[in-house]
Amino acid sequence: MKISIGCDHIVTEIKDYIASYLEKKGHEVIDHGTYDKQRTHYPIFGKRAGEKVASGEADLGVVLCGTGVGVTVSANKVKGVRAALVGDMEAARYAKENLNANVIAVGGRIVGIGLIENIIDVFLETEYKPSKEKEEIIKKIDALVTNEEQMNNDHYFDEFLEKWDRGEYPKQ
Amino acid sequence: MKLAIGSDTKGFTLKEHLKRHLSNLGHEIVDETTGKDLDFFDAATQVVKVVKEKRAERGIVIDEYGVGPFMVANKYKYIVCANAFDEHSAQMTIRHNNANMIAIGSGIVGPRLAEKICEAFLNTDYDGGRHQIRVDMLNKMC
Repeated sequence: MKISIGCDHIVTEIKDYIASYLEKKGHEVIDHGTYDKQRTHYPIFGKRAGEKVASGEADLGVVLCGTGVGVTVSANKVKGVRAALVGDMEAARYAKENLNANVIAVGGRIVGIGLIENIIDVFLETEYKPSKEKEEIIKKIDALVTNEEQMNNDHYFDEFLEKWDRGEYPKQ
Repeated sequence: MKLAIGSDTKGFTLKEHLKRHLSNLGHEIVDETTGKDLDFFDAATQVVKVVKEKRAERGIVIDEYGVGPFMVANKYKYIVCANAFDEHSAQMTIRHNNANMIAIGSGIVGPRLAEKICEAFLNTDYDGGRHQIRVDMLNKMC
């Protein structure tokens, strides 16, 4: 499978570990960064990793940050992404089997590495089991985001990054 | 604090437990999902509505896994919803993400932990500062 991954600077080393874990299992990994520990902003990476899944360039996505919340929320705000933030295998299984989740997420400061591996395994191995009710609810979820301007737009956050570079956001 | 709370049928028992607990702590509760046979989509949408209309400061949605309400709520502009299954995340998502909602899975989180998650979520303030650029980015999406 082709797996799109993304993270923020808090958990880069865990993302790197997951990338090699997936590669060892024979998957192709598209790593959207971040690539080092320099302070950056999780929506950049959640959005990018999610978009590659929504566009079909990747089959599934894995995202993480400290709690997992920020990066997962940004991935989920992409049209076509159904991201599941979980802390156990059972929720990961449910998300795939019932909601056909296409991005799985964990908090790198919340869940230990052994459980992260198992969560990813169960997410990749579980098959979506469609039914009329499930299809209807998925259709309703997908219809909620209509913003086309943000899709695959790498300059969507430029106004904030420029403000950051001008020192207009506090650094603390 | 004034808070919106809602559930589907599977989250109903935990929701009622939390409503009693949180109102004993002095919180004012708005539940517009009561007496209705809702699925998680409708329950989450209803809580989103109350929060977006500023009729409550924060919102809590309960279903069996927390996963579905998370997907639904975060599709709305200006909503940042965490799927909370531990106290640390419930607190940090306020401090760093300025979250205005949490989802709780009644099949995943027991009643005592759910109480503590809600307390952590409701007793914490947003840190602001450098976190604001990320919140601005989230709020531009959808």
